[in-house]
Amino acid sequence: MTLIQAIDIVKVYPNGVLANDHVNLSVNQGEIHALVGENGAGKTTLMKVLYGLEHPTSGEIRLRDEPVTIHSPQDAIDLGIGMVHQNFMLVNSFTIAQNIVLGREPTNGRRLRVDFEQAIKDTEALSRQYGLYVDPLARVDTVPVGMRQRVEILKALYRGAEILILDEPTAVLTPRETEDLFDAIRQLVNAGKTVIFITHKLREVMAISDRVTVMRDARTVGTVNTAETSEAELARMMVGREVFMVVDRPPVQRGRPVLEVKNLTYINENGRTLLDNASFRVYESEILGIAGVEGNGQTELVEVLTGLLPATSGEAYVDGVPVLGAGPRRVREARVAHIPEDRLTNGVALTATINDNLIVDRYYRPPYTNSGLLNLEQIRLSGENLIRQFNILAPSGELPVASLSGGNMQKVVVARELSASPRLLIAAQPTRGVDIGAIEYIHQQLIDQRTNGLAILLVSADLQEVMKLSDRIMVMYNGQIVGIFRNTPDLSEETLGLYMLGAQRQSPEEMEQLQ
Amino acid sequence: MNPRRSLATRSGGLLVLSVLIGLLLLLAISMRVFGITASMSLDEMRGAIQAAPDYGAILLVNALIGVSMMLMIYELRWDALRVILTVAVALVFGYLMTAFFNLDAANRLSSGEFRVNVVSDVGPLVDIYYGDRPSGEFTGPDADEPLTEASYRFAGSAGDVLTIMAFAEEEDSPLDLQLTLLGPDGEAVAENLDASDEQRQEYRRQLESPGDAILENIELPADGVYTIVVRPEPQSEVQVGEFNVRLDTDAPSPIDFTYNQPIGAVFNAPNVDNPLTEASYRFLGRADDRVSVLAYVFRSNIEVDLQVELIGPDGSVLGQANDSTEEQRATFRGLLQRETDAALEGVRLPEDGIYTVRARPEPVGFGTKLSETVKATNKAYNAFLFGPLSRLNRWVTWIKDAITLIMLGLAIAIVFRAEQFSLGAEGQLYFGALVSGVIGLSFGEIPKPVLVPLALLSAATAGFLWGLLPGALKAYLGANELVSTLMLNTIAMRFYEMVLTFELQPPNAGYTASDWIPDNGLLAPIIDVSGDQVTIAVFILILIVLFAWVLIRRTPIGYEIRMIGANIKFANYGGVNTKRTIMLAMAISGAVAGLAGAHLALGIHRKLILNISLGMAFEGVVVALLARNNPLVVPFTGLLYSYLRVGAQFMERDANVSSEVVRIIQAVVILLITAEALVTFVQRRRRVRRDRLSSDIQPSERLMAAPPQPPA
Repeated sequence: MTLIQAIDIVKVYPNGVLANDHVNLSVNQGEIHALVGENGAGKTTLMKVLYGLEHPTSGEIRLRDEPVTIHSPQDAIDLGIGMVHQNFMLVNSFTIAQNIVLGREPTNGRRLRVDFEQAIKDTEALSRQYGLYVDPLARVDTVPVGMRQRVEILKALYRGAEILILDEPTAVLTPRETEDLFDAIRQLVNAGKTVIFITHKLREVMAISDRVTVMRDARTVGTVNTAETSEAELARMMVGREVFMVVDRPPVQRGRPVLEVKNLTYINENGRTLLDNASFRVYESEILGIAGVEGNGQTELVEVLTGLLPATSGEAYVDGVPVLGAGPRRVREARVAHIPEDRLTNGVALTATINDNLIVDRYYRPPYTNSGLLNLEQIRLSGENLIRQFNILAPSGELPVASLSGGNMQKVVVARELSASPRLLIAAQPTRGVDIGAIEYIHQQLIDQRTNGLAILLVSADLQEVMKLSDRIMVMYNGQIVGIFRNTPDLSEETLGLYMLGAQRQSPEEMEQLQ
Repeated sequence: MNPRRSLATRSGGLLVLSVLIGLLLLLAISMRVFGITASMSLDEMRGAIQAAPDYGAILLVNALIGVSMMLMIYELRWDALRVILTVAVALVFGYLMTAFFNLDAANRLSSGEFRVNVVSDVGPLVDIYYGDRPSGEFTGPDADEPLTEASYRFAGSAGDVLTIMAFAEEEDSPLDLQLTLLGPDGEAVAENLDASDEQRQEYRRQLESPGDAILENIELPADGVYTIVVRPEPQSEVQVGEFNVRLDTDAPSPIDFTYNQPIGAVFNAPNVDNPLTEASYRFLGRADDRVSVLAYVFRSNIEVDLQVELIGPDGSVLGQANDSTEEQRATFRGLLQRETDAALEGVRLPEDGIYTVRARPEPVGFGTKLSETVKATNKAYNAFLFGPLSRLNRWVTWIKDAITLIMLGLAIAIVFRAEQFSLGAEGQLYFGALVSGVIGLSFGEIPKPVLVPLALLSAATAGFLWGLLPGALKAYLGANELVSTLMLNTIAMRFYEMVLTFELQPPNAGYTASDWIPDNGLLAPIIDVSGDQVTIAVFILILIVLFAWVLIRRTPIGYEIRMIGANIKFANYGGVNTKRTIMLAMAISGAVAGLAGAHLALGIHRKLILNISLGMAFEGVVVALLARNNPLVVPFTGLLYSYLRVGAQFMERDANVSSEVVRIIQAVVILLITAEALVTFVQRRRRVRRDRLSSDIQPSERLMAAPPQPPA
């Protein structure tokens, strides 16, 4: 039985972007319906329309065959539609129970006082009912990401959601947590709920969904039963052409060590040790991948190595030259390129032009600056070259970066960093939030550069990505390096998972052997 | 920055358009300033131009104004419309506010001082009223103008109890006075020669001489005109001397005035608790007297529109008048002044008795009120919008003000480019003014070509250092630049005042100011309109604009400034030394602000005075914001904003509307720019509608739909 339908939805954003072009979606009662598509395909917009965050330019939404208008999230909640956003909408300093009842607090008689006892009971009951374990009394900022996500789901259920929209819920989870989430989703469906699951990871689609709707270029490509399709077919539908999911990593002899890190420690201003005595080397023609649950020191490692954070102690050498303690320029002068984790914060200046974004590491050197003046012609030419060379979809380098899509912004960053002819590339989450086509492209670039002699330090929350690209894999847990592995076919996700969760660790000797 | 803007092309068409508009502006301004009209012949035009002093330089400056407009259009493209629209909306608000302040414009028709007069050939019927205290001097029968007896007529009512005194001016005077009260029929009602001892005791402050006379508590027997007669007692030896008369009573006077003696007050005086809206005055009239009742304004520039009524003793209205004819104004020349004065001519009074004249402003209708308000507002706005071009010296005032404002706008544009919200231009300006002023004052013997550049350079350096300080505080200590610059402003201002008061002020000066800066230290004038000068600061300004433009657009430092402005984390990630850039941005901005201070000291005031900046630095913020922090646009927005500032001054002078209106305009401009909500809203609505109309176009086409690129 059809529960909710979106019919011919058109959504034009004020800046002229057509995000949904006569999109149709039909979700049955009690199913897990996956919505897949590349970034910018319009998935999130469609869900925002369903949840009342955006108003469709035209089109109709039907709930149980009745046309409904949803002006605001409040309307959506009243209709039993709940949404769990990619970025959690929780009050960090509140307890989980407080977060769940926020805005619908139970009161005891008089309306002025919140009955927190009741809130805790309600939370526990809800948590048991759907098998979504949370600790009602814990503060949100002290619990792991997986639990925060469960809080979001419970929050929606507490408000009476019958339809749950999960927007890329696995992007922030470890493999183990993903499994837990899938169990919980199955339990929800057993309890009669309906789940719309947004993702661009096809493996997950195959693992959990009943039916899949594929979107591409703001349109719906089609809806298929999961059982009757394959990852390859879905990928083809998403991208509109054949996609090579497997990257060919030609064997190559690694060269001299480029980066040598010795006993690197970083203690933040609150006295927390975020990076604990890390030592490792990265060689020419090698990709060293760092695996680990997010928040185990990878970010700090990258930022210390690139000069964005000061090391508390320890040393790092690039080609034998010490690079720490003098800020990013020293690191860049040592020919270290850096694809930053959060490109919107660090990687680009949105309001500046593409050309200006492409020269931030080199503007002061000839040929970009000659006798004290910027050479605008040279800057424009090299910008045009990079736009062409790296396939950045932009009509002109004089456009602000803000006018580009997420994937193209990432390409701007990649173009700049790879064109700096680096010795070492530190790539943090290089494909986060990037669509399949761009992922394929970036992966190929990394492999090619590595084959041509570049040393690459790769940090990714996506274990699959690490395993696909790396020659060696280093696992971080709690700020420490707990294991180093050669990426041979017999290395399994499960093995790495044990190290990632701190259940196992190698001895220093074992690690030294694999340096 | 929206993509459309950047997609728009800098085509030749835009260049031609901007040049044309710039030329039009040059023409329009020049025509107004030189007083040229389209109907003049070419020779007359040339004559009009050549009649102006330094007309070549004036034309040059006007051309520069045209260039600034051209640059604005060329640089901002579509955003240029936004600048104009923003100012236009602000002007509309300003108009509404001016109208609001002029809502009382019609009040002048119902308020003002007036006089009422009953003109008769008979002459005054009474000389004094209750409570009057006339005085005189007996001169004896042998004097040139002998006064041996004084008589005073007054109107009295039956039953009023009066006390009348006649006493010598001097204490213990030998003058022996005789006081007689005559009734309406001419018979004596009472007489007194000398006051008793008890009376002298009771009224000892008046009755100080033994010969003083008093009529105490006399009850008047009938209505009518009584006469007080005072004379020295005939048998007295002393027949000369000054004397006083008092007519005291608790009773109200039966009349307020008499024939030919005007009386009046102020209708609807502003700022009083109970404004007078109607006035009634009583006078004594006699049967068959021919009188003309007039109500007229006190001075010819008072515009109250009067009406007048004459009411008889029985309460009946004997006549009424609203206006006066030209003949009447000729007849009563010196009294009636305006057509709106009221004249009721040649009324024959029917009986003896007390008549009343009632005067009031004629009621003003809503239509009149509205049209008066609009008229007054238009007059004010005309002065506001065209005042700076109405006379050459006003034009000079505008240009002088604009030069300072543009310098400050550039200073702020530089620092805002780096997203550093430094408001330190004020303090930097003070230091610039102080340093350049001191150098100009102290080294007057150094030749001008050396001294002026030295003073300017020192001012720039002082501003640079005073900007470096908050920059360093921000870069190394994380001190909020907004707070630190505002604090440093106060320090700079007080330091300036201290040096000025204790070191520079000449000892004999009446107010706090330095001596005039010797000529060698002053910026040389290029235009001199009877003392009002535009100096070579114009050329210095052009250099600063070019400097700021090259700095921001063409230098690595400018790139760093732009990048830390766009995203400081990105700049840091890319290897930019963000601390150094923050300091440099603030210091360079300070140097420009210091030059603005030097311009004030050496070019405008020509000495150091208190409050030399008059808070202009903050107006520089408006200028920079309007220009989107673009150094090439700042000259135009500076000129535009200065035009409004100066215009507001002239409005205040010409139209009596407070120049604070320009504050409202300023506030609206800031609001609009900060929010830009209105414009964006309108654009969004328009675009959504357009997209709805064309929603069948392929999405890829839509996304790529951009104006064609310029040829490389």
